[in-house]
Amino acid sequence: MKINVLKPVLVSNQQRAKENRKFFDKTKSLVLNIIGSPGSGKTSVIEQIVKKLKPRYKILVIEGDIKGSIDSERLSKLKVDTIQINTLTECHLDAFMTAQAIPQIKKPYDLILIENVGNLVCPAEFDIGEDYKIAILSTPEGDDKPIKYPLLFHLAKVVIINKTDLLSYLDFKIKKARKNIMDKNPKAIVFEVSAKTGQGFKELIGFLESEIKEKLGRDRKRANP
Amino acid sequence: MHEYSVTKSLVELCNQEAEKHGISSIRLIKLKLGKFTGFSPAAINFYFDYLKVSTRCESARIEFSEIPIRIRCYNCQYEDEILEPIFICPQCGNIELEIISGREFYVESIEGE
Repeated sequence: MKINVLKPVLVSNQQRAKENRKFFDKTKSLVLNIIGSPGSGKTSVIEQIVKKLKPRYKILVIEGDIKGSIDSERLSKLKVDTIQINTLTECHLDAFMTAQAIPQIKKPYDLILIENVGNLVCPAEFDIGEDYKIAILSTPEGDDKPIKYPLLFHLAKVVIINKTDLLSYLDFKIKKARKNIMDKNPKAIVFEVSAKTGQGFKELIGFLESEIKEKLGRDRKRANP
Repeated sequence: MHEYSVTKSLVELCNQEAEKHGISSIRLIKLKLGKFTGFSPAAINFYFDYLKVSTRCESARIEFSEIPIRIRCYNCQYEDEILEPIFICPQCGNIELEIISGREFYVESIEGE
């Protein structure tokens, strides 16, 4: 007997992601799925964003790590709400793991930053219910990464080039990196920052603020979770 | 490495479909895989061999068929397969493109008794 199935393999993940998105949309939180290699500076970039936006906005950070809670402990020093998810054997967050955080969300947030597991391959494939993906590419990794990991750079609405303070020591060429990003994603919004020195964050923060306001909409009213 | 969890989803989906249609043993799973995904058939087969044990998929084999990346330009209507994922219209340089295919990852059919 032959049965035509015609269903995506990740159909259950897609359904769960849709439910997560519905929850985040109800509270009008801007939800960003932050993806980058281990050591690219995801947590440091998040720290800078939190420091700069916390006085004006309610922020939650969801930390996805295979094991441990080092990153959420680091962030709690900034007195920002955090939720830790351990993926154990998995190299990425999926919609079900992200859903584990939802019952812990007790108030509406303006901005939810989800730090995915450090990896350029797997997290790109899984919709977790975010508004969009942000890819972080650090200069020591090389300007060729968008060529090697095309899917992530294609899907990310925003690409952050981090560790620009190291440029003079490296062969990384910003122009080349931008060209490689644009080939995969001509509409990508690219920011150049150094999470260490704080350089370049003014533009990124300005962008995020306008995105938060857009999500909140004109009525500026939000439902409780 | 993420093939472990996708193969688990694959086995679950096939088992569900088989159960729904009264198939106790699946012989063949036809899988469509777009070229612009990060999934490797070899890795899927590797995990499948042990995830299928004691399920309706136990005697099944997976037949992969690859779907090329095709784009259509909104500006000049150029439409073709592209070999490399570079999303700029080769004819007019426009960046407003529709990706017609290449991101698929779905079970086309299952066969069995």
